[in-house]
Amino acid sequence: MTNPPAAKEPFNLKDEVRRAVASLEMKSTSTHSTTSDLSIDEELNLHSIGWEQVELVSGISVFSVPAGLWNWGQGEIAGASKAHAQAFNHAISRIHKEAADAGGHGVVGVHIERSVHPSHVEVSLLGTAVRPIGASPVKPEEVFVSDLSARDFALLMVAGWQPLGLACGASFVYAPRRQMSAVLQQSSQNIELTNFTEAMYSSRESAMERMQQMAIALKGTGVVQVNVVEGPMPFATHAVGFAAWGTVVRLAKESHQLMHPQMVVSLNDPTAVFDAATLA
Amino acid sequence: MSEEASELARTTEHRLEELEKGLFTSDLSVNEFLLIKEVGFHPVGFVMGSSIYHTGIQTRKWGQSQELTKLTEAMYNARELAMTRMEEEAAELGADGVVGVRLDVNYYEWGKDAAEFIAVGTAVKAEDGVSRLNKLGKPFTSDLSGQDFWTLLQTGYMPQGLVMGTCVYHIAHRGIGQTLGTTGQNVELPNFTQALYEARELAMTRMQDEATQLGATGIVGVRLEEKTHQWGSHTIEFLSLGTAVSKTSDDITLAKPITIISLDN
Repeated sequence: MTNPPAAKEPFNLKDEVRRAVASLEMKSTSTHSTTSDLSIDEELNLHSIGWEQVELVSGISVFSVPAGLWNWGQGEIAGASKAHAQAFNHAISRIHKEAADAGGHGVVGVHIERSVHPSHVEVSLLGTAVRPIGASPVKPEEVFVSDLSARDFALLMVAGWQPLGLACGASFVYAPRRQMSAVLQQSSQNIELTNFTEAMYSSRESAMERMQQMAIALKGTGVVQVNVVEGPMPFATHAVGFAAWGTVVRLAKESHQLMHPQMVVSLNDPTAVFDAATLA
Repeated sequence: MSEEASELARTTEHRLEELEKGLFTSDLSVNEFLLIKEVGFHPVGFVMGSSIYHTGIQTRKWGQSQELTKLTEAMYNARELAMTRMEEEAAELGADGVVGVRLDVNYYEWGKDAAEFIAVGTAVKAEDGVSRLNKLGKPFTSDLSGQDFWTLLQTGYMPQGLVMGTCVYHIAHRGIGQTLGTTGQNVELPNFTQALYEARELAMTRMQDEATQLGATGIVGVRLEEKTHQWGSHTIEFLSLGTAVSKTSDDITLAKPITIISLDN
């Protein structure tokens, strides 16, 4: 990290950005020091399966959505769905590159932040690159990215499964407007709003289908820990969206290894927490 | 159904076909995934049902406690629609059941009195090929997490279905005379107490009736939720939810739990 510029010098944003971009291009040369956002427990978990953390890596992409798409139309808002997919793919390929440059074989504990705005879609990924202890670097396309925690990653490996990457699908769809007469007639009745239900379903089907396609492309046999965000877009009255993402996995060993968990009773007392609110 | 709807049906079929070919999706955490494999089940797909529903209007009498049957009906129908659609997806996948079911109601800006009712869960199938369908020949549903599902199966019980009962109730306001009469005193407010009791009883009874229909011997993990949604302070929905279970095997050896002191915070 470079120190922030001294107060007297005028802050030159362009130079700062250039320097940041240049540092991204440089291969990491240090082999002894590592940065990671893993807790001690997670680090121990990683070491227990013979892996180590390498570096904190990220991938970010902001993709523009053509203006005026959200309010009128029919069927899928293809421009927005496409922008979402592009933003996600770009962010993933950037984090792959960073991880490979740092010598990682994969990235675990990826925090995924995504937001959809009327004019653009933002996706940012931040995680810790990991590798089998002392292993030599691999190509960017061989790196896997996963939002599973290091602990979950270790558990999955012990059970004979391996993560292959992230799969994501999103779709935005217009909900047709109801006729004014229908709205008035139905105002006092219990009735299903089929236009919204159908739009919701259609966006969901396309999104899940896209996620599955990505999973199949990665040669996975399953997607675990699928997260779903769905609902109408806050900035458009008749547009609904659905996004789903999860970690693609495949059985790496010949068969699933059973865990044989034991039942335990923890004798810890619940910790009492005192703060200003409880004293009031 | 419109042309768009038939297009939708085709996409759905395609998506489900992919799932049948061996790809699974699930919102289970890794812990839950491993525990479900442990008891001989395999996830087959993430299933969901949703319905966007407009609830009607019903007049309430200011000073009278009563069930608002029209609203109760709306809350029930909409949830039932979402649940049934989810079950249908699971049946389509050839699943034996759905675990980790979450029921949610979302209110959005675009419609006064319109809400989205949604049911999501992970469809699972027994790896030994023996059918675990419930008494009604449908996949079982359950809101138990993967951990709870594992623990339940250790005791020889099997979930039969997610059961629910609901009651939307209007609680009478107190008259001015009553309010003044009790100022400064310690007294029970019998009209409030009674109204809450009755509403809860109605919701619980309806839930139990559903469990009886499934031939269940018990309901575990019952939650009682009270929400006013958008109806103001004196109209409350009482919703009770739980997983109906019945005993399926007698030869069980329950491991004695080990006591531990965890060094985590």
